[in-house]
Amino acid sequence: MNAAAIETRRSEALDNFHTRGMPHRRFEHWRYSDLRAILDAGQVAQSGTAKWQVESVPDGVELFDLAAPAEQAPEWVVRYLGTVGNRPTMKEASLAFADGGVALRVTRGRKSAAPMRLQISSTGNVRLLLVLEDDASLTLMETHASDAGLLRNVGVEIVLGSGASLSHVRLAPSAPKSITVEHIGVTEARGACYRAHFANFGSRLSRTELHILLQDVGAEAHLSGVMVLGGEGHADVTSHIEHVSGGTRSTQLFKKVAGGKSRAVYQGKITVREGANGSDSWQTAKALLVGDRAEADLKPELIIFADDVKCAHGAAVGDLDPESLFYLRSRGIPEREARRLLVRAFLEEAVEPIEDGGLRAAVWREVEEALSRAMVIVR
Amino acid sequence: MSAAADTKDQVAALGEKYKYGFVTDIEMERAPKGLTEEVVRFISAKKGEPDWMLDWRFAAYRRWREMTEPTWGRLHYPKIDYDDAYYYAAPKSAEKAKSLDEIDPKLLETYSKLGIPLSEQKLLAGVAVDAVFDSVSVATTFKEKLNEAGVIFCPISEAIRDHSDMVRKYLGSVVPVSDNFFATLNSAVFSDGTFVYVPKGVRCPMELSTYFRINASNTGQFERTLIIADEGSYVSYLEGCTAPMRDENQLHAAVVELVALEGAEIKYSTVQNWYPGDENGKGGIYNFVTKRGDCRGARSKISWTQVETGSAITWKYPSCILRGDDTVGEFYSIAIANHYQQADTGTKMIHLGKNTRSRIVSKGISAGKAQNTYRGLVSVHPKAVNARNHTRCDSLLIGGKCGAHTVPYVESRNPTARVEHEATTSKIADDQLFYCLQRGISAEEAVALIVNGFCKEVLQQLPMEFAVEAQKLVGISLEGSVG
Repeated sequence: MNAAAIETRRSEALDNFHTRGMPHRRFEHWRYSDLRAILDAGQVAQSGTAKWQVESVPDGVELFDLAAPAEQAPEWVVRYLGTVGNRPTMKEASLAFADGGVALRVTRGRKSAAPMRLQISSTGNVRLLLVLEDDASLTLMETHASDAGLLRNVGVEIVLGSGASLSHVRLAPSAPKSITVEHIGVTEARGACYRAHFANFGSRLSRTELHILLQDVGAEAHLSGVMVLGGEGHADVTSHIEHVSGGTRSTQLFKKVAGGKSRAVYQGKITVREGANGSDSWQTAKALLVGDRAEADLKPELIIFADDVKCAHGAAVGDLDPESLFYLRSRGIPEREARRLLVRAFLEEAVEPIEDGGLRAAVWREVEEALSRAMVIVR
Repeated sequence: MSAAADTKDQVAALGEKYKYGFVTDIEMERAPKGLTEEVVRFISAKKGEPDWMLDWRFAAYRRWREMTEPTWGRLHYPKIDYDDAYYYAAPKSAEKAKSLDEIDPKLLETYSKLGIPLSEQKLLAGVAVDAVFDSVSVATTFKEKLNEAGVIFCPISEAIRDHSDMVRKYLGSVVPVSDNFFATLNSAVFSDGTFVYVPKGVRCPMELSTYFRINASNTGQFERTLIIADEGSYVSYLEGCTAPMRDENQLHAAVVELVALEGAEIKYSTVQNWYPGDENGKGGIYNFVTKRGDCRGARSKISWTQVETGSAITWKYPSCILRGDDTVGEFYSIAIANHYQQADTGTKMIHLGKNTRSRIVSKGISAGKAQNTYRGLVSVHPKAVNARNHTRCDSLLIGGKCGAHTVPYVESRNPTARVEHEATTSKIADDQLFYCLQRGISAEEAVALIVNGFCKEVLQQLPMEFAVEAQKLVGISLEGSVG
């Protein structure tokens, strides 16, 4: 395999992008995020390349700048770049149009304790490749600057070797004028574990899409996320977890608070392939509507081709429980404060899974700030 | 009847396979093959329809020609050649029957074989039947008694002639002509079906029932049902379907429209047992049905109950539009798919009015190499203050080669609304099976027992006459799925 392979994949990606065209709401899984209505293919092609920055590279982590000529790419970049997960249109666009990005590798058995921070800023397409070899582990904090211009389109690929473990926290602050799209493809070998948290505070259109392949026994994926939206914010988290092999586990817990005229979307699909017996998966999505004109759309989907499985999902949309509110108010807590308290309590369960205390605090700070925006017109 | 005795009956019935698969040899009159304006005109003329009805059909036909078949269902079937089927077939002798005595005895025999009590002497107390054979309604029983109460219960072809104003007002008002590919096709070529009108304040004195039978080969069946429950009235309507065993696939595209005015209640129950094809997936009915109820007046209620055991392909989403304030919509469903059957079924609950409530209970059972999908939408519009929905859908898998899928959509645009959805997927637990086996119950009996327990919540909703039949069907449909 050589560098030409990357070029081949890029030109395939370009062809795919042009053949399929911009996603729009008539594509069932883009039903709640009509990208074509506000963006055309030319704008995607000409949006340039977004910037990335890694604060400090921990020991045992190799970094390759994808802006460098393909001939210089190490073997592991050539092997994986453009091959992980499915190849949806916008991910093809980021491969075809990005003139840069970053590839990171954690070598076999390396366990990196401190979180590694990756900041993505500016406008355009960008690629990220993360390879964790067998038994390696890493905590990654992916933060986004809110200066996303018209479009920021990120294509992420994550390869987890056997027994590898990645904790991934993605923090996307409010970017009300921008369109932000991110596709994350994950493939997991035997006994690998992917923990991810998505904190989303809304864009003009924000789409975070995941495709996770649990390839072998013992592979696990645990996703959680919060959304706090106000104004005309939009956030869409769409996940697809495939239990390719039996004995795999996945959990998902997403909580959303939508105020103002915002729109909170969750589409979660779980596929259990034929023969993947002993798979266990559950997903829960809950939304609180705190604005009279806010909207929540939830679509938890189960596609099951094996019988010896445990699969469950739940979804709920509603308002704060009036009894709880009454209880707090009867104890002298003003309504505004009581509501805030209850909303915090509602979100708590979905923030808690973030293992690193510092990252958890960072998410809470962002949540607090967003809550004041979302709950301005509290009734 | 005790559960054990029930199960014994089911197991006895297991040996029967599809007992409705016979063909009645009867002379048929058909429209020319294919679908053209001429065929539409032919059907309309056969029914002696007024001009407005013909125009209505033409409008539908022209629109249909421009539409494409939907492909979003989780269904795989060879492309249907719509020009290679008959759109109208009628038993020759049935045309002008005034009473049961004039009906071809062969037809009556067919219905008695099916266990449908057409002749009044044999009638179970309190069920009025309208029987539709291929494209025409052959007999309606208990007309006089219903007339006394003011209830109109007749073939829709007759209603178009005799109650033209009412049909004109309501036909297509719930499922518009352009609604979807199959509904539009039905609007162009529907040949018969049932019309029910229950006047103000009347509680329909008996269960109304329609029995649909496809007999002719290579023929589609397109029936249309329109039920109007006027203010404060109540009606319970049952529907049953069977078809002969044939190697070819036959098309069935029906439309059902329900209108409930202020304070009215409609209970609509279906036991669908069209021929499902053989164990190798050969033959069977393609069942593409549009069913929708409109709770137009305040405090009205529409309740759908369905037991879907037949058909090679089922594509069906009985829905409720909760337009009036304080209206209630319900959907109870059992869908069983065995061998190579494919079912994509569910419901839509559209909350428009204040304090509207809906409840969905769906039980899907897959066995053999079947695929069973629940697809549902709960949509709360901005004005639906205090809307409530609870959805529960459970899937049961029997064997490792089948599939069970759940695709629920929840869309809420009102902060005071509460929508809850829960779903589980499981198989028959080994300990449940073991418990039955060690008490001397055979594996097949045990499965029927456990599955009936799994479905109980829905079976309870059926009117008594159908509940017994449905319980047996559950057993029969799963024949050969264990061991």
